[in-house]
Amino acid sequence: MNLFLLACRLLRREGRSGELTLLSFALIVAVTSATTISLFSDRLETTMVSQAGQFLAGDLVVTSPTTLTSDWLSVAKTLALKQTMTAEFSSVLIENDSFLLASIKAVSNHYPLRGSLKITGNHFDQEQTITHGPQPGQAWIDKRILSALNLKLGESLHVGNKKLILSKIITYEPDKRGNLYSLSPRLMMHTQDVPETGILKPGSHVHYYYQFTGQDSALKSFKQFSKKRLNPSQRIMDIHVDRPEIGTALDRVQKYLRLSSVIIILIAGVAIAITTRRYSERHFNSAAILRCLGCTQAQIVKLFITQLVLLGFLASLLGCLLGWVSHAGLFALLKSLLPETIASANPLAAFFGLITGMVILLGFALPPLLQLKKVSPLRILRRELDPIPTQSGIVYGMALLVISGLIYTFTLDIKFTLLLTLLASLGITLLMGLIYALLTVIKKLESRVNLNVRFALLSLVKNRKNTAAQILAFSLTLMAMLLSFSVHQNLISDWQTQLPKTTPNHFVLNLFEHQRDDFKTDLTTHNINAQALFPIVRGRLIKINNQAVQKIVSKDSQGERAIHRDLSLTWSKQLPEGNFITSGKWHQSPPSHQVSIEQKLATSLNIQLNDALTFTIGHETINATVTTVRQVNWDSMKPNFYFIFSPGSLTSFPKTFITSFYLAPENKNFLNTLAKKYPAITILEVDFILNQLSLILKQLTQAINYLLIFALIAGLIVLAATINATLDERRHQSALLRTLGANRSLLRNNHLLEFISLGFFSSLFAVLLHDIASFALYHFILKIAYLPSLMLWVLVPLIGTTLITLTGLWSIRKVVNKSPLSILREH
Amino acid sequence: MSIQSDALSEIIISAKNLSKTVLTANGSLSILSGIHLNINHGESLAIMGMSGSGKTTLISLLAGLDTPSSGTITINGQPLTTMTEDDKARLRNQFIGFVFQNFQLLNNLTALENVMLPLEIIGHPHAKDKALNFLDRVGLSHRYNHRPSQLSGGEQQRVALARAFVTQPSILFADEPTGNLDQKTGKTIIDLLFALNEENKTTLVLVTHDQSLATLCSRTLMLENGKTA
Ligand SMILES: Nc1ncnc2c1ncn2[C@@H]1O[C@H](COP(=O)(O)OP(=O)(O)OP(=O)(O)O)[C@@H](O)[C@H]1O
Ligand SMILES: [Mg+2]
Repeated sequence: MNLFLLACRLLRREGRSGELTLLSFALIVAVTSATTISLFSDRLETTMVSQAGQFLAGDLVVTSPTTLTSDWLSVAKTLALKQTMTAEFSSVLIENDSFLLASIKAVSNHYPLRGSLKITGNHFDQEQTITHGPQPGQAWIDKRILSALNLKLGESLHVGNKKLILSKIITYEPDKRGNLYSLSPRLMMHTQDVPETGILKPGSHVHYYYQFTGQDSALKSFKQFSKKRLNPSQRIMDIHVDRPEIGTALDRVQKYLRLSSVIIILIAGVAIAITTRRYSERHFNSAAILRCLGCTQAQIVKLFITQLVLLGFLASLLGCLLGWVSHAGLFALLKSLLPETIASANPLAAFFGLITGMVILLGFALPPLLQLKKVSPLRILRRELDPIPTQSGIVYGMALLVISGLIYTFTLDIKFTLLLTLLASLGITLLMGLIYALLTVIKKLESRVNLNVRFALLSLVKNRKNTAAQILAFSLTLMAMLLSFSVHQNLISDWQTQLPKTTPNHFVLNLFEHQRDDFKTDLTTHNINAQALFPIVRGRLIKINNQAVQKIVSKDSQGERAIHRDLSLTWSKQLPEGNFITSGKWHQSPPSHQVSIEQKLATSLNIQLNDALTFTIGHETINATVTTVRQVNWDSMKPNFYFIFSPGSLTSFPKTFITSFYLAPENKNFLNTLAKKYPAITILEVDFILNQLSLILKQLTQAINYLLIFALIAGLIVLAATINATLDERRHQSALLRTLGANRSLLRNNHLLEFISLGFFSSLFAVLLHDIASFALYHFILKIAYLPSLMLWVLVPLIGTTLITLTGLWSIRKVVNKSPLSILREH
Repeated sequence: MSIQSDALSEIIISAKNLSKTVLTANGSLSILSGIHLNINHGESLAIMGMSGSGKTTLISLLAGLDTPSSGTITINGQPLTTMTEDDKARLRNQFIGFVFQNFQLLNNLTALENVMLPLEIIGHPHAKDKALNFLDRVGLSHRYNHRPSQLSGGEQQRVALARAFVTQPSILFADEPTGNLDQKTGKTIIDLLFALNEENKTTLVLVTHDQSLATLCSRTLMLENGKTA
């Protein structure tokens, strides 16, 4: 038989039956939100990564102390990657009898691939944003070079043997990178002029940065290719490696958005399960007739699944379209906060919504639908013969499988998925236990109360399973919405407290010892609250317990990056503010030659307490014993160090000082004062990075608020679905009661009480589950302390009860008003 | 497809020592016991008895809708008792037609589609023509596009008759086919039923409370408390 055509016909004729409409709505909401998130986060991620790519001036950077062989570049070319190269080295500039160590950066055409440079002429107010470096024969410089060497723009200067015209002042360079503490003033020139300087000879200390942009897949293949070719002195940098603070922020945003959509899907799934159950109950008779006419069980299953899949496909398709619109809406809503250009939407991301839709549908609708297969043809003669319901284990199991599958797809984090799934099952089991306990109590009460409330209690306990399912659905929905709301509230405020308004936004480096006291006084007289001044000695870790570090580290680890460059070593008598000792005891002075190591680096290099470390500083080596391991908050924008020595360990080496402080935007002039008075210092303005972080925060807030709308709609559909599922029964009961002489107010009071109890208990359970879930989420995943809020315990039952009661009364208004005869006849 | 031509055996339905017991809250309840029954090909049998005597139970066993607690049933030489549910479904589709007291049409399908249904289930190539033909036979071809809800009870039962006969079954089971209809309409349905039965040479098993209807049949079986009287 042409099952498909028959399925189409039946589905079409089903018309606007309540269940299928609700089921479609639920599915549409789920798919719309999944598509929205998928498209939104896909585009946001692409955008953010490329924005963050500005910090690298490319999407992928290979650094090397020598030029790369031509085969690298030809591989990049075949992958259609855009490429450019910069070379960074130091050189002493000598003009007008003054000399200055400058950090030279030679850039080739196409630099920068990502982001842009900012330059000015003589005055700061003429700042210009451009996307190329200087022409050959020209040099762009930090303003500091002019004052230090008594030069003016338009004059010339020698870099080695090459004479260059000073044409512009650089105010911003996207990829001013890496080691914040070692920046000498910048001179930017074209790579074409480098050979004529005669500075770079074999063995010269120089860093080449090869920058690449292009298609994600191409970048991936190139990264793979490069990884194989890297020698120990070369390394690959991309956004996640090089800018951990932006990487984590991005990850959090992604995780949170996706988690929200799983929650919405869960709520919608509950609605789908309820409506499908009712739908399949309503079709027991059709199934019996078909069986009687000779349909096999397999044909019955096919017939109904085809209808479901057909409907699901259409609803999901609609959901995808709506998701497309809605994600565009989301971008439009956030326009002022988002970067000007957003990566274009990837249709594949929308397709993901479609797949999600079908998966949810099958996961939640299949178990109740399969009941139809078990309908006996005898039912046609004996109406009371209901098929054995699908085992609840299978029903919940499928739902759990789908949800955990989705969480995994979204997070790619097995541990997180398992934990969440486990917690969810625990939560549901706990809730079921509570609900049944509650119903037992109500049953005991029922016979003792008067008629005005008896029927309310009766309808609660009469069908324990139904009531339990309703309370479960309401509380899960409420809990999910609550979680969605409160996690968002807390995360935001958590981030805001992590980055207080006066978070240091400027670093000062290269301050000499004799300037230290003057500098401190200057800051105090300008009311600037600076962090402590830390001495810095540049050195490199070479041995751990007399073993060369190169042999110990694993490739591409944090440890590997740390040992391939000079680190800023400091010493301190006290443990710096914001550092926490995780093991060992803070060093006493004397003795010297004790060192405290940062925890993550210790893990990466497998360094334990009491290990002996060897450093080279200049041409000398020094030894120190690890006496503490420290935790450092890298987001704090304070000077942070991998290694802190005990006082006296490094005193014999030349040192400079570093500090950081907060400077309000309107006080930026103060920087000029500082630059004039201490010409050798470097001032680093990190407001930029902070702005980036707060931008992400604001974006997140807006996005979550938007998502909450979907959760709310899904929740209301659940409500409508549960009431719709019991509508027939209610109608019949109320008609009977009225024929027996009950008046409408009695019925109304009973309904009112029933919905109030449903609403109240659901809300109460919702808050309880929410607190448990939040605690777990905060404690294990976000690693933030969770403080339960008393307000929730008051507000949620109040709002939840009102909402459920109103919706309930509205949904059954017809039941009470309809004439009893017409209802009894319908039956 | 039907076996009218190869009536090797005269007996089309044979039930031996049939009994049905169900478990209820108050222990086991015997509904039918010790039923022996042979129905010949082309015969029409009326099953009568008081309400609750087990008539419906008996024909649901004979039609393979239910399984007996003990005893055997053979339809057309095939033992029902050893068949799987799906085998029985196929058997019903091929050899058996049903008419019920409450019509049992699919509400979502039109009259024509309801009649086509059993043909479509076996993948009959000319389902529509054949169904239209039978609708015409019951005098409803002009209403082919109407849903059951748009038809009167008598009209619905005529559609049900067309659906029952469209596969040209060997056996037709009818459980109080006029029970829900007024006398006059009931009469039309019965006339139609017997006419179609005649045309198609179908074996008829009919449950009824109506003595006059029973006399139209070639034989009557009286049930009393689950036993043949
Ligand atoms: N599954 C069952 N469980 C309990 N009792 C049953 C079951 N099936 C049938 N009965 C009982 O068996 C007896 C016979 O039922 P059956 O429907 O066969 O009677 P009937 O002769 O068709 O009656 P009526 O003329 O009213 O249709 C009835 O008393 C009925 O209640
Ligand atoms: Mg009966």
